Amino acid sequence: MTLEINASEAVEKTTGGISKKGLSAGSVGLVGAVVIGISCIAPAYTLTGALGPTVAEVGLQLPAIFVAGFIPMLLVALGYRELNKAMPDSGTSFTWATRAFGPWIGWMSGWGLIAATVVVLSNLAGIAVDFFYLMLSQIFGNSAEIAGLAGNPWINVGTCLVFIFAATWISYRDMQTTQKVQYWLVGFQLIVLVGFGIMAFVHIASGTAFDPTPVSLSWFNPFAVTSFSAFAAGLSLSIFIFWGWDVTLTMSEETKGSRSTPGRAATLTVIIVMVLYLFVAIAAISFAGVGGVGVGLGNPEIQGNVFFALAGPALGPFAILMSIAVLSSSAASLQSTFVSPARTLLAMGHYGALPPAYAKVSPRFFTPGYATIASAIVAAGFYTIMRFVSEDVLWDTITTLGMMICFYYGLTAFACVWYFRRQWFATVRNAFFTLVFPLIGGIILAVLFCTTLVDSMDPNYGSGSEIFGLGLVFVLGMAILLIGAVIMFVQSKVRPAFFRGETLSLAAPRFGEHEE
Amino acid sequence: MRFLVGYTATPAGADALALGVRLARAPGAELDIVLVLNAGERATLTPTDPGYHRLLLETAEVWLAEALTLVPAGISVHTHLEHADSFTRGLLKAAERLQANLIVVGAATHGLLGRFAIGSVAGGLLHSSHVPVALAPEGSRAMGTDEPIGRVTCAVGTKPGADGLLTAGIRLARTVDAPLRLVSLVAIDRPGADAQTIQLAADHAQAVLDYATEHLMDGLEVTASVASGGSIEHAVRGLHWDPAEVCIVGSSRLAQPHRLFLGSIAAKMLRELPVPLIVVPRDFTETGK
Repeated sequence: MTLEINASEAVEKTTGGISKKGLSAGSVGLVGAVVIGISCIAPAYTLTGALGPTVAEVGLQLPAIFVAGFIPMLLVALGYRELNKAMPDSGTSFTWATRAFGPWIGWMSGWGLIAATVVVLSNLAGIAVDFFYLMLSQIFGNSAEIAGLAGNPWINVGTCLVFIFAATWISYRDMQTTQKVQYWLVGFQLIVLVGFGIMAFVHIASGTAFDPTPVSLSWFNPFAVTSFSAFAAGLSLSIFIFWGWDVTLTMSEETKGSRSTPGRAATLTVIIVMVLYLFVAIAAISFAGVGGVGVGLGNPEIQGNVFFALAGPALGPFAILMSIAVLSSSAASLQSTFVSPARTLLAMGHYGALPPAYAKVSPRFFTPGYATIASAIVAAGFYTIMRFVSEDVLWDTITTLGMMICFYYGLTAFACVWYFRRQWFATVRNAFFTLVFPLIGGIILAVLFCTTLVDSMDPNYGSGSEIFGLGLVFVLGMAILLIGAVIMFVQSKVRPAFFRGETLSLAAPRFGEHEE
Repeated sequence: MRFLVGYTATPAGADALALGVRLARAPGAELDIVLVLNAGERATLTPTDPGYHRLLLETAEVWLAEALTLVPAGISVHTHLEHADSFTRGLLKAAERLQANLIVVGAATHGLLGRFAIGSVAGGLLHSSHVPVALAPEGSRAMGTDEPIGRVTCAVGTKPGADGLLTAGIRLARTVDAPLRLVSLVAIDRPGADAQTIQLAADHAQAVLDYATEHLMDGLEVTASVASGGSIEHAVRGLHWDPAEVCIVGSSRLAQPHRLFLGSIAAKMLRELPVPLIVVPRDFTETGK
């Protein structure tokens, strides 16, 4: 009858390797990892959101841009993996950039990540709203009235807020779909997209396509894009379509089998997604052309959400499958996207870069509860404002998103290069993975970011919405970064410890040093 | 006896812990505080993040350390972190490994789906546990940990299968050194409480009282009374309840056909009962240690 005190001793490690168990070592196989990867990329949602704006920039050279867009993504993701291996931390970009460049740049890096994910959350929810009403109209005998409800800003915003609330609720309570359901959802998504492509070609063959455009080799020539501005804008959009792929690379902890499983999963995922993207992109262009009327991909009316317009003409009675595919894809993506801003906010609260409330973990559901709700409120507010300010909210949010991804991914890539500066030449592998690849990736993203920023000052950029004679996308990008800077300075006065480097210090490990 | 507290750093967790400590004050009793974390073995849409997991583990250890500070000196206590797909499964796994005699959870609820939550945590336990489950009602923590268990009330019916329940009640009363009160729930087992039914109930109560007295070798104080009333609420409200006592009932004994125990009657009892409810599995046989 003695009190066994000393908390750390009394906390019994139940099965030896508790940290390993916590990381659920060896629970995901090759197929599972690929499914998670595809699920995070959410091809159905991504394509419907990105096809239009990208065609608007690069026209027929869409396939070339899709391939080119993967290169910076790959280069940065490789650096991301190195950082994740050296400093696994839920703050990701925020923590890494702080370790490499100090608190100020680290803070802005974290802010960029949060901004990007909040923007994509609002876009996702917006797409889901469109397809929700399209599906309803398909169920009730193709009534244009119901589909048109999505166009009413009040109904649209109201529905969107309901969706965001539902996603927050699910994330907060950490409700997860089972592996089986996830397999079905991903499989269904792939089948519908492939079916869409096949049907498009059937229509072309039988002469019933909207604007049959013969496939040509020049579609694959990135140099056929008319200007560098267009090329850069297209590239920053196509980085978005691979966003989420990096997850497969960083899953090394929980994949089973050999150490090469994550690498193989990442490769397989990107091959599947790339083939799918190219097939669907080619099919869509061949079927609808890039003209500016009707369902032509160049029509600004449909560019924010192309499948919304194309599903009917291409799939006929099966169009409802496309609605279900995009809806389920958005739902999955909404859920997986919700965790990243929440975890980064949590890390920022943890290290004292934000009020400590953000670091709260829900004791019942073990999720970053406060941070989850905070990001949901911001995403909802952002969508509501955008819906009333922008002529085409989906289009403008996607373009802004591309810019934000370039910003924080670029910083992350440079953080990788700088953090490992004392290990660059330790091995040949290090030279490539910590210097060459992330440096090139970072430079490409930096160039894309600057080019997009300058170009978007033009009021005609994107959907053509403008504020004070400047393009809405530019104003948005600058506003987001400026608000971040203002909050950062306020925080530096209120909570100086983080900004003096007391909670998270600069570091650069030497060769052979392994940081915990 | 070994008492296992299913702990969360919430008011409900504090309720469970307070009750667990009061029970574990008995001589020779041991207290296990178990915190269940998600195993992450299920496929997740949200990508797992080693950094977040590490933070979660650190947080969980802090929670357990805080729980330990609530346990007064003189009690043999251990804390455990369990990884499982669900809170229920984690507790059952821990109970089996630690050979616990009783699982204590908080019945208090919070959140928008409040009532449902009673069913999800405790209900899951009740439908799969081979070990008795104690539900600490909301506010148990207010009583503190110093108040010993004042009485054990055992609610028995007429149908077969009450023996296991009675044994468990006797054992508990002995362990915590408290008087045992037997309550016959016959009246509410049958519709319409006429004179004959009441008489039957009284006879039954007397029969169990005799049985219990025979089995209480060390001569603990035993009383018997009849719960009368048209509904569970009436019957429960009609009895006198000591705030420091616990009530022990059989699981499926109280369930009406096609109804989840916790979904209807136990939830009602929980709301009516000002004291902790201990539910014993129907075919429960004490392994006896």
